[in-house]
Amino acid sequence: MKTIILGVGNPILSDDGVGIHVANQLKQHIHDPDVAIDKALTGGMNLLDLLLGYDKAIIIDAVKTDNGKDGEVKRFPLNSFSTMHSCNPHDVSLTEAIQMAEKLGETRIPKEIIVIGIMMKKLPCEFGENLSEKIAMAVPNAVEMTLNEIRKDN
Amino acid sequence: MANAYLQIPELRGFERFSQGRRAEDMPQITSRICGVCPVAHHFAATKALDAAFNVEPTSAAKKLRELMYCGYIIYDHILHFYYLGGPDFVVGPDAPPAKRNILGVIEKAGLEIGKEVIKHRAYGQKITGILGGKATHPVCGLPGGVSKGLDKDEVKDIEKMGKSCVEFAKFSLKLFDDIVLKNKDYLDLILSDPYTLKTYNMGLVDKNNKVNFYDGKIRVTDQKGREHIKFDGKDYYKIIDEHVEEWSYIKFTYLKDIGWKGFKDGKDSGIYRVGPLGRLNAAEGMATPLADKEYKRFYETLGGKAVNSTLAFHWARLIELLYATEQAMDLIKDPEITSTKIRNPVGEPGEGIGVVEAARGTLIHHYKLDKNGLIDKANLIVATTNNAGAINMSIRDAAKGVIKKGKVNDGLLNMVEMAFRAYDPCFACATHTLPGGMPLEVDIYDNDRRLYKTIRQNI
Repeated sequence: MKTIILGVGNPILSDDGVGIHVANQLKQHIHDPDVAIDKALTGGMNLLDLLLGYDKAIIIDAVKTDNGKDGEVKRFPLNSFSTMHSCNPHDVSLTEAIQMAEKLGETRIPKEIIVIGIMMKKLPCEFGENLSEKIAMAVPNAVEMTLNEIRKDN
Repeated sequence: MANAYLQIPELRGFERFSQGRRAEDMPQITSRICGVCPVAHHFAATKALDAAFNVEPTSAAKKLRELMYCGYIIYDHILHFYYLGGPDFVVGPDAPPAKRNILGVIEKAGLEIGKEVIKHRAYGQKITGILGGKATHPVCGLPGGVSKGLDKDEVKDIEKMGKSCVEFAKFSLKLFDDIVLKNKDYLDLILSDPYTLKTYNMGLVDKNNKVNFYDGKIRVTDQKGREHIKFDGKDYYKIIDEHVEEWSYIKFTYLKDIGWKGFKDGKDSGIYRVGPLGRLNAAEGMATPLADKEYKRFYETLGGKAVNSTLAFHWARLIELLYATEQAMDLIKDPEITSTKIRNPVGEPGEGIGVVEAARGTLIHHYKLDKNGLIDKANLIVATTNNAGAINMSIRDAAKGVIKKGKVNDGLLNMVEMAFRAYDPCFACATHTLPGGMPLEVDIYDNDRRLYKTIRQNI
C-alpha cells in the first residue's frame, strides 16, 4: 500500500504553517519507501494533483474551530469538510475537486483520505515564520497521531 | 437598501517581515503571500530586483519569462471561467448553490467538455512548471534573467500543448457566445444599471497600446476610453495614492490628480478598475490576430468604449485567454527561445520597482535595498487593492438593485456575490473552517445603524 503524507500550510503565516512543521519532523521518523512525505502551500485542484496515484493520503493542516481548544489535535475523514484550505475565492475545495475527478473517470484517487487537524480558534493575519506557544506544543502530538495512523495500516 | 460594504480580514505586517532579508529571496517569499497568484508575485519581485540591481535581463530571458507568464494566465483564467465565475451563467444566477459549481457546468455542458477543461488547465500548469522549475511556486526568476532555459524537447512539448490551448480558448469564446451572448436575459443583465460602473481603467500596454501582461507602460483611460495618462511603473507613487477607511484593512487606491471623492464613479472620482476589463479598456487592442478580432467584437457588441459593465469581466477574461495562448505560440516559435544567454551579471544594489499584470490586475512591488543587498523597505500594491473601491461600489449597487423592501434570499445574495466574483478577487483569507464552505456573513442595518438582521453562510 502506498501512502502520502502532506503537510499543508503557509510557511510565512506563522500558525497557518503548522502542517509544514509537522511534515518536517515526520521526515526524521519515517523511512519506509511506501510512504512519501511532501509539503504543499496550495489547495483544491493542485492539492488533488499531489495525491493522485496513492492508496491513502494523510493531510496535516491547521483547522479553524469555534468549539475546540487551541492546539488540540484531531483526526477527521476528509468528508467531514465540505471545503479545505482553498476556500479563497479563486479555487475550488479539495472535496469538490475530488467529486469532479470522480465524475470524469479519474481512477487514481486515494481510497482513503484523512485529515490530521491542529485546531485553532483564530487563524493568523500576521506574517511570521514561528509558531505560537500553544500550537508549537501540538506538533509532537500531531507527529505521534500520524505515526499511529501509519503503524495501524501496517 | 442604503449601502453595502465588503469587509475582508487582510494579512498584515509584510513590510516588517521582509526587512533585513536577502533581496534575492523576495521572488520566493512573495509568491507565498497567498496561493492565488504566485507567478505574478514571483515576476513582479524579479522585475523589481532587475531594477534594484541595475541590470537589464537578456532578450532571451525576457521571452522565457513572458512565455511562462502566458502559461500562468492560461491556467488561472481557465480556472476562473469554468469553476468560479462561469457557473453563474452556465448553470444560472439563481440556481441552487449545490448545482452552481463546476459539477453543474459539467452536467449542463457534458463530460467531454469537463475533460477538456481539466486537460487545458493542466497544460497551463505544465508550461509554467517546465519554465519555472515548479508549477505553483516557481524558482526561476533571478535579477538579470532566469535560472533555466529550454531544450528542444521541451520546446516541442510546449508547442504541442500551446496549439491545443489556442483551440480550447476559441472553443471557450464560442461557448460564451452560445450560452451568454445569445441569451437576451443574460445580455440585459450584463448591461443593466446595478452592474454598471463608470470608473477609470488601468493596465499595462506595449508600445502600440496593446494589452501586455509582462511588460510595458501603465496606461489609464477615462470613462469614454480616452487616454488619461500613461506612465512608467517606477513613477507609480506620483500617480496612485491610498485612502484609508476605518471599517476595512484594505487601503483604497485612487488617481492622485483626480482625488478621493468617496465611493463614487464618474470622471470626478479617482477610483479606477484593473483586471481583464480594466486592461481591455486601458488598451487599444490585443497584440495577436484572433484575440484582436474578439476585442473589436467585444466593443461592437457592448456599445463602444469604454465598456463599464462589471459582468463583462468574464468575456474580457476569455479574450485574454485567447491572447495568452496565441502569444505563447509566438514565443515558443521564436528561435531565440532556446538561447543559452539567459542571464546578465548584476550591478550594485539600490532601489527597484517591478510591475506586472496579475490575472486579476496591476501588481506593483517596490524594494529599497541596503548596500549589502538586504531589504530595507518593501511596499506592495496588489491587484485586488487596486479594485477595492470599485468592488465595494459594485456590491452596493447590486444589493440596491436586487434587494427590495429588506427581502433577501439565497438567489438574491448570489446576485450580489456575482458583482464581486466578476473581479476574481484574491483576498488571502486562507480559511480552513469546520464544517467548511466559503464563510460569508451579511449584516443588515436599519436607518438608525442598528443591526436589523444577520445572514450567515458557512460560519
